[in-house]
Formats: sequence, C-alpha cells, structure tokens
Amino acid sequence: MKKSLARRIGLPPVLRNASLLIGAALTLTIVGLAVFAPLVATHDLTQMDMTNRFSGPSAAHLLGTDNFGRDLWSRLVYGARISLSISLIAVTASALIGTVVGLVAGYFGGWVDMVLMRITDIFLGFPPLVLVLAIVAVMGPGLFNVALSLVVVSWTEYARVVRSTTLSLRERNYVQAAQALGASSPRILFREILPNSLGPITVLASLGLGTAIIWESALSFLGFGLPPPAPTWGWSLSYGTRFIRDEPWMSIISGAAIMVTVLGFNLLGDGLRDVLDPRRLTRGKG
Amino acid sequence: MAAYIIRRLLLFVPMALGIVTVTFGLLLLIPGDPAAVLLGQEATPEGIASLRRALGLDDPWYLRLGGYIANLLQGDMGRSIFQNAPVSEIILGRLGATVELAVVALLMSVALGVFLGVVAAIRQGGVIDAAAMLFAQLGISMPVYWLALLLMLAFAVQLGWLPAIGRGEPLVEAFGLALIGNPAPLWESLTHIALPALSLALNSAAVISRLVRTSMLEVLNEDFIRTARAKGIRSRAVVWKHGLRNALLPVLSVIGLRFGALLGGAILTETIFAWPGLGQLTISAISQRDLPLIQGIVLTFAMIYALITLTVDLLYAAVDPRIRLK
Amino acid sequence: MTRKDLFASVAAAALTLFATNTALAQEALVIGTDVDAGTLDPRLARDTTAYRTINLIYAGLVHLTPTLEAVPDLAESWESPDPKTVVFKLREGLVFSDGSPLTAEDVVYTFTTITDPDFNAPQRALYTPIESVEAVDDLTVRFNLSTPYAPLLSYLDMGIVPSDYAEAGGDLALEPVGAGPMVLESWKRGSEIVLKASDSYWAGAPSTKAVDIRIVGDNSARAQAFEAGDLDVIQAPLSPNDIKRLAEDERFGAAIMAGLGVTYLNFNTADPMLNDPAMRQAFAMLVDQETIVNDIYQGVDEVANSVILPSSWAYDPDIKQPTFDLNGAVAKFNELGWSDSDGDGFLDKDGQTLAITLSTHSEDPNRVQSVEFLQAMMQQAGVDASVKISDWPSFSTGYVQQGQHQIALLGWLNIVDPDRMTYAQFTTGGSLNWGGYSNPEVDALLEAARTSLDQGERADAYQKAAAIIAEELPYYVISYQGYQMFFDKDKLGEIEANPRGTFRGLIGMPSAE
Repeated sequence: MKKSLARRIGLPPVLRNASLLIGAALTLTIVGLAVFAPLVATHDLTQMDMTNRFSGPSAAHLLGTDNFGRDLWSRLVYGARISLSISLIAVTASALIGTVVGLVAGYFGGWVDMVLMRITDIFLGFPPLVLVLAIVAVMGPGLFNVALSLVVVSWTEYARVVRSTTLSLRERNYVQAAQALGASSPRILFREILPNSLGPITVLASLGLGTAIIWESALSFLGFGLPPPAPTWGWSLSYGTRFIRDEPWMSIISGAAIMVTVLGFNLLGDGLRDVLDPRRLTRGKG
Repeated sequence: MAAYIIRRLLLFVPMALGIVTVTFGLLLLIPGDPAAVLLGQEATPEGIASLRRALGLDDPWYLRLGGYIANLLQGDMGRSIFQNAPVSEIILGRLGATVELAVVALLMSVALGVFLGVVAAIRQGGVIDAAAMLFAQLGISMPVYWLALLLMLAFAVQLGWLPAIGRGEPLVEAFGLALIGNPAPLWESLTHIALPALSLALNSAAVISRLVRTSMLEVLNEDFIRTARAKGIRSRAVVWKHGLRNALLPVLSVIGLRFGALLGGAILTETIFAWPGLGQLTISAISQRDLPLIQGIVLTFAMIYALITLTVDLLYAAVDPRIRLK
Repeated sequence: MTRKDLFASVAAAALTLFATNTALAQEALVIGTDVDAGTLDPRLARDTTAYRTINLIYAGLVHLTPTLEAVPDLAESWESPDPKTVVFKLREGLVFSDGSPLTAEDVVYTFTTITDPDFNAPQRALYTPIESVEAVDDLTVRFNLSTPYAPLLSYLDMGIVPSDYAEAGGDLALEPVGAGPMVLESWKRGSEIVLKASDSYWAGAPSTKAVDIRIVGDNSARAQAFEAGDLDVIQAPLSPNDIKRLAEDERFGAAIMAGLGVTYLNFNTADPMLNDPAMRQAFAMLVDQETIVNDIYQGVDEVANSVILPSSWAYDPDIKQPTFDLNGAVAKFNELGWSDSDGDGFLDKDGQTLAITLSTHSEDPNRVQSVEFLQAMMQQAGVDASVKISDWPSFSTGYVQQGQHQIALLGWLNIVDPDRMTYAQFTTGGSLNWGGYSNPEVDALLEAARTSLDQGERADAYQKAAAIIAEELPYYVISYQGYQMFFDKDKLGEIEANPRGTFRGLIGMPSAE
C-alpha cells in the first residue's frame, strides 16, 4: 500500500525525495547568498571599467563582467536580494489577500461568494501583462510598485484554491460540530479551516516565488523594471540579451541565475506538495 | 444545460463592465498624453490642445466612460486614435493570427506534454523519467523572451533552417491550397509558425507533462488496468488505449487554462518574432496610449477568457458525468 | 575594432554609393523597419515609416538629395521675385495614380490644409510662415510668406495630395493616392506594407516591381531576420553591436554615413539647481562623450561639439562645449559653494545635498545605458544622481514636455536645416523650449538666421548662437547620430542611400535629372 501512495506522488522516485532536498538546497543557497551578499561579493557594485566589458569568467571576475565592466558575480548576489524581496513581498501579499477572499467567499457562500468571485473574474479576465505594465506605468518603477503590480495579477489563484478547499472543509464534521457548539465565524475560519488550507497555499506560494522572478525579468526586458543602477537580474538578462550575438556570457550567466533560482523554488514546491498533501491540490475551479 | 449557458454568458456582463471600468481608471491615471504622442516631438502646445479637443480628451471622465459604455452596448468599440480605423476592425484583423499561434502552440504543448508524461510514467523511476521531468522543470523556469531569442539565434540565424520573423499565409487558407495541389504556402506557413509556437509551447508542455504523468501513474495502478495486463493484453495497447484515455480527463481542464495562458504569453512572443497578432498590437497600443484600442484589446482578451472557461466547464461535464452543472 | 577602422572598412563602399546609382531591377524588395506607419496621408505623417512609405507613394514639389539639396521633383523650376514670395512652375502632364491630373490647385489644397490649425497636422509649425498659397494657373503656384523664411525649401518635399479625391471623402490615410513612383498594394496593420510600381510617376515606372516593408519592432530581431535572409534591407535604428558585426560581414552591402539626428542632454534651466549656467557647465564636464560614443554606441555615432550638424553649411568646428573633466567639474562645484561638508560622500551647500535626476525613455537601450553611465560618473564626482526611466509617452509628453525634468537625455531627428533644431528649441517661449531657456541675444540671432536668404549671413548667425548655447548649455549635445543601412549586395548591387532613410535610392528612382 505504501508503494501505491508513493506512486501517486508527482515525481519519479529518483527525484521524489531529491526534489524537496534539491529544491530546499538551491533555495537556501540563494537566500544565503542574498543575505550574506556583502560578504560574498568580491567587487564594488557600481565600479565601472569600460575597458573591460564582457570579460567572461576569469580569476579576477568569477562570472566575468557586464556591459559596464562591473563584476557580474557581485551584481548577481546583490541582485538576488532584489529579486527575492520582490517575490517575497508579492507572494506574501497575494497569499494574504487571496486567502482572506477565498476563505470568506467559500465559508459564507451566497451573495458574498457571488460578489467576491465576480471581482476575481474581473482580475482573471485581464491579460496579466497588460495589467502589470499599466500599474507600473501609473505608479512608477520602484521595488514595492513592481511587487504590488504582481500582487494584482496573482492573488486570484490563491482565492480560487482556498475557496474550493474551504467549500469542501465546510461540510466536514468537525467544522459542523464547531458551528453547532456556537463558535464564532472568525474562530472557525482561522482555527479550523485556515490551518487545513495551509498545505495548498504553501505549495502555490513556493511556485509563485519563481513566477515572480520571471515576471521581474520580463518587466526589465520591456523597460518597466527598477531604475539603474539597481543590480536586478532582469537588467542583467535584458542587457545581456541585447549583446547575445557577440558576447553571450552575460546573457547565459544571468539567464542561468534566474533559471536555477526558479528551478529551486519549483522543486521545493513540488516537494512540499508531496509532503503536505499529494491529493488535494488540483487547480481550483471557481 | 441551455439555462446554464445563458446564465454563464450573462455573468460576463458584470465582468466586462468591471474590466472596462478598471482599464479606464488605469488609463486615466497613466502618465502620457495620446494627443501629444500622436503629434510627435515637434508639436506645439496649441496643436496638442486643439487635437485634445478634437479627440474629446478634455471631457470629464464620467462623460467619457459613460459614452464609451453606451457605444459598447451598441456594439461599437470606438476608433483607434493612432490607426484612425474602427477598433473592432483592427482587432478582428489581428485576432486570427493570435488564435492560430495559440492553437498551434497548444497542440504542440499537448503533443509534447502527453508524450513526455506518458513516457515518464511508463519508465517510472528510470533515467528517462527523471530526464523528462527535469526537462519539464526547465521549461517552466525559463523566461519566455530569453527562450524565444535563443531559439531564433539557433534555428534561424546559426542553422538557417527556419525563418526568423513574420507569418506566412493563414494556416487554414494554406491548408486549403495544399488540398488543391499547391503545398508551397502551407510549407511557408508551417516554417514561420514553428519557432514562435515552440517558444510559446514549452512552458505549457512542461505543465501538461507533469499532470499527465501523475494521472497516468494513478490510472496504471487501478484495477482494470491490472486486470487487462493479467489477461495478457499487450502492454503498449493497455497503456495507450486504456491508460491514456482515462489519464487525459484531468488534463482537459488544464488545457483550457493553458490556452488562456498561451494567449497572454503571446504578447511577448509576438513582439520578438514580429508575429502580426493581438499581442504585438497590445504592446504598441500601450506605447502609444491609444486608449480606445487598449480598451478594445483588453475586452477581447476577457471575452476569449470567458468563452474558454465556459467551454472547458461544458466539456468537462460532458466527459465526466459525475459533474453536474448548476 | 575602433571607430576609425569601422569607418575605414566601409569607406570604399560608401564612396561608390555616392558616386553611382545602379540599383538592380527587382521583382520584390523586402525592407525591414521598426514601426508601422500611423497614416499614409503625408500631411498627417509623424513617424519614420510613414515618411519613407509616403516618399514612395507621393511626390513633392522638390526632392531632397542625400546632401539635402532641394532638386526639382513635381516642380520643374522655382524663383523668388522677392524674399516673401516663391513661385513654382509644375511639370506638364503630371497625374496621380488614379489617373486624375495634378495641378496647382492640388498644391494649394495640400498646404492650405496643413496650415489650418483645425487640421491638426503634426508638422504645422514648420509651415506657419506660409501666409497663403495661390494657383496662378494650372502649372504655376505662388507661396506668399508672412516673413522671409529660409528653411522653407527643405520642407517642400511634402507629398502633394489630390484635392478632388480628398474633398470627395477619399481616405488618404488608408487608401493613399499620390503622384510618386509606387502605389499601395496592401497594408496589414502592424505587419507589412506592400507597394507596387506605378506607371504614373513623371520620371517613368521604377525597375523594382514591388516593395514590401516589414515591421519588426525589436532591433536585434530585425538584424537577425536580415542575416537569416528574410529581409533584403535594414537600417537605423540598430544596435551598435549589430552594426559592427554587419559592417564586417562580406555578404552585405553597407552604407554608413553621418545622420540627421543628435543625442543630447536637455537641461531644465528653470530648475533651481540648474538655473546658473555655471552649474550646467559643471554638470556638462561630467559627460564622458568619448566613452558614451565609442563604447556604448561603439563608434556608430560621432562626438558632438555644438548644436550644428557637421554636415551642415553652418557648421563650425571651433565652437566647443565643455569636455569631460571630472576633477575640473568637482573644482567648479567647489567654486560655486558645493563641498562635502558632512562627509557623506556627496557635495552639499547650505545643508542641501547636490542631488539631480537624470531621465530618459526605456525603449532605447543605448540611451538607458548612457544614463546609467552618466549616473556613475556623477556619483564619482559627489553628485547624488538618481535615474528615472519610463516609457516614451510618460517620459516625453508627461515629463520633459511639461518641464518637470532636471537633466533629460533624448534626441532630435530629421534636422534638414539648422533652424529645425534651434528656433523652437532656444527662442524665449519657443514651442519646444521645454527647459525654459531665454537669452535675448540668441532670440535675435535665430530670428535673423531664419529670415535671411543669404546662406553666408545665416551661417554666421547660427554660429554665433551656437557659440552662446555651447557656453550657456540649455542643451549639451552628446553625439551626432550616424546613419546605417545594410542590404543584400547580390540582390541590390549598388544603391544610393539617403541619411533620412528614404527608399527612393533603393528602387533606382531618384527624381534628380
């Protein structure tokens, strides 16, 4: 029987346990690099050297230099701080908003559910890129504003998933019992239902961290990212991509940094999915 | 059933009104004056003021929003400021290309995703399984514009196998021509769509392959498959005939959502491959502050999204009798 | 590869380009461009693709050669009986592509509509000195000016539109009818404009049967498509590194020459931090032109020294803007009372930090890089420089044109006459004087330069004005933009390129006799 449970899990055995481990290891490494950026960075972030652009990896520059001759490794570890902050803010806020909306809609049902789900529909109906670009154009391209624009397009996912888990939990015995005992709605929501929804939320959040990083880079590519000299990964990749024909290093290295980080979050998310509850998380349908 | 569909379609009305209002609000707040952009850098302040009056940009916001919605209810999406043509005409002229790209990308991602998922499930635990799933993970981890440029660099510039940009004849027409004995346009169209569709498809293929693998594993483990196997039916037949058919059920709902994602993702891909669809139009409309056109595009995307979710729900109900529409 | 080498490697090719014009006959020529045309009505055109396409579909009274000389096109000849009158004689037997005759009435109609404020023509300001236009007879048209206006001829390449067609409700924007060498065959908005040879042009039908103008927004993607053989011709704007690579590629023909644009810093002279010319000079000394031009732009542009283009008859190499001198700039700031008194690494004065905002638009990665580089230089000098990057509408119409900027990096194009980048920009209250610059002496000089019909006098006035501007710095001109065109050598043979990027040379159809 144990085996059949294992088989239901989304990843091959080689990776099943490994997925969580590798994901956690990658994530920890990157978070570590970001936290200790001042220690691991080898060069001044803004020190330009126009005679030494695109140098490629060397003893002096671990990952080579960028289009201004700045040390790419140092910029990437500091860039990790920005990317991770944006993802963290965006994911936390989306999860909070989405969870509250989902809980309330699922628990109270009726017209409350109706209204909240119609609002959710409005946000889902937008092409996300248009919404993100418009918000950044209105608010200006700061770290917080970029994160906020991502919240606007990603909270709906949490709302829908939490709503559907709430709907099913509401019918369970222990919730009905609590209701019968006269427990208040907030108490039931936060004591009984929320803890049981945490699994899917955590999984969504870890996958969302990766998505937010990709969004940030796309915004920079379109010119809507953080202003220079912020060492964002998006800038490195989008500058690098402009020079890809002649100087592929910068693009490949910054692209790889993004890819590895997102991969780390995704593996972590998959691993968590297995651990927390392999069956529950189907993509919620409103 | 019919009542359900009507109810769902009616629900689109408040959604559309909400979307129009939110878009309008954002466009009010966004810096940049379409009249000044239209007239270019050498415009005089008087010239800009005169054009603003002519375009009705100086009217109070509630009159403009009200007027827009009133026109919309009569089926009129207004005129593009920059292209000086009806918005609906411009969008219809572009819609085909985007839908074609999204459909081809969807077919590619389903084919690739199902193939990878099934292979991984059959060879569960093996090297192939791990490789397929790693490939899937990488597909989700790459920024799409980066992937697009890498593909273009490799297949169009270095190898010269495929054209880098543009679109051939519309696929449907080219297919028609091929049927009456002229296959050249079809070949042209296919080579043009290959790269944009592939770069768009990889992400969805990754999602689908993981889903297929999971549900395939579940199905393969169920009794009727074991029974079939025990009866001595050849393994491949079991997998493809019984396994896949059942495993595809959950994939269906995801495919609908993926189609929406593909349409959205097309915005970046189309810009890079100069694919003449709605995505490219979206970027240029935003960069010109062409307010009526932006409104029209957003509304069109929303309509497509609503239609897709409705279709998926109907299909799902048709395939799986356990689900009742309420 | 240095800039000099780059120029040397194409110099030979460029020379032959100017000398001969033997573009090979084509079935179809595919030209890549960056934006779609907004309209095909010449009077309303505002983007480069529209100008260039219109230049094939329509013909103007004159045609501007690659050296910007006005030569007869629809007009056979012209004369100026007095400084405020120009009389044009049209060629006989001119017809539009719909077969209707082109007469003086059509010229009158074209310019009357452009100067009508309610017509909202983007370039109206260039034509406002035209008081009236009248048809003397079918072949003679007279321009009456309110004041002598020297640059006029440079702007009379404006395509002549058919008055009957337009007044009958014909939509020139979408269904153009002109008297040029080509006609519109089809137009897929945002994708491609297909033109085919016209037999109604006075100089005969071009040997090229069709021109297919394809829109590829991304500069790198356009260069890649050209290398992959999807496009026969591409031209500026291109990424500097693509230009370098394409120029070295044996397969391609190249035309690399001085363009008609500048990249400059717009100083907001109304800003308290910048209203002292000495402050602007100190900031200007932090602009490392050599590095921006040779490293970021990889030598495709040229270091600038004044607001007059080197290719212009008004150019004077002895006019000098401040040049890069980091220590000199710091010394100058110190002189003006700015010093790092609180030891935070930034200069300050009376408790105020020397902070400045540099801005540009996000669409041009080279400008973004230049601003990032400038910021680093300013930081080194102790200026707390921040950067604001936004998309073009936010940056231009919502910021610089509102005079909200401090130091903005942007450009001017199509400077066919020095007037076009000085008069409205630097005269007091001028319509493009976004930085609020005012100097009565400059006002007088620019007015004189515009109204004098003697080129020597004009040059003298422009040079005097440019010298003042180079010292007072409402603008700091970073570079003179280069113009590049690359083409499929085997297919096209030799062609005549035009720094304005027009296509007539590609179809072997210069109208000069």
